[in-house]
Amino acid sequence: MTTRDRYMLELEGMLKVIPEAQRKEWLYDYYIHFQLAVENGQSEEDAARELGDPKIIANELLLGYRVNQAESNSSFGKLSKAVFSTVSLGLFNVIFILGPYLALAAVLLALWVSAVAMGIASVGVIVESWLNDTFTIPQALTIGLIISALTILLVIGLKALTGAFYKMTLKYLKFNTRIIRGNNK
Amino acid sequence: MNIQFKKGVLEICVLVLATRGDRYGYELAVKISEKFEVAVGSVYPLLSRLTQDGYFSTYLKESTEGPPRKYYHLTPDGWNHMRNLIAEWENFTQAVNEIVEEGLKP
Repeated sequence: MTTRDRYMLELEGMLKVIPEAQRKEWLYDYYIHFQLAVENGQSEEDAARELGDPKIIANELLLGYRVNQAESNSSFGKLSKAVFSTVSLGLFNVIFILGPYLALAAVLLALWVSAVAMGIASVGVIVESWLNDTFTIPQALTIGLIISALTILLVIGLKALTGAFYKMTLKYLKFNTRIIRGNNK
Repeated sequence: MNIQFKKGVLEICVLVLATRGDRYGYELAVKISEKFEVAVGSVYPLLSRLTQDGYFSTYLKESTEGPPRKYYHLTPDGWNHMRNLIAEWENFTQAVNEIVEEGLKP
């Protein structure tokens, strides 16, 4: 196996998660690079050394891709991937980005769970009163109505909060990648 | 030189190099590595990002020998972006120079 093949295989292995079309396009750049380097009288070993560690290149490509993905279609999975890419690139301390991110995500999740619990409770109190006479039916209906009103308010608030958290995280990630790339606007 | 510092400068260089006609990736990578020591491999992710941001458009063109090459064309957005970066860069270097001169005064 030549140096070029080894280099390309290593790079390709680390980009497995990227859709094929995009991955091929990226790999093509490096393939052509080797080709032209050899045509210009460079050895493959030299070209590989100049290109640098495939791990670092793969991480740079992945980060750009994931921030972009998280931006174009909102999903927590994609956002988390972008956060992890940034961390794996060693751009900044794990404690300073991953810690707060996970903590805030956990708080949001807990709030969503309580919203669901409240939703269930509002129906539950009516069913319970109907089966076991805990409350009279008018009482149960009133309590159920109040709880479901609160649930709706909580859900609206949470939606806004989750959206803001998402946007903020993305902004922070982009801010950091920009800093690292130097044009700190 | 500091790696992160170099990366920021790399973006300006890549944009400026493409002002005089379209370039292909290898050309840009080599031109830059001649001037300062960078991991040539990180030029390509940078080109890919700048293309995603709309500063470059790309097309494939056959070459006389070997496989077709990917050319990078600076878009009007790219020109604007470059001008902004250069203005920032000049402000920045001027500030640094002033501090250095001030500091080294006898």
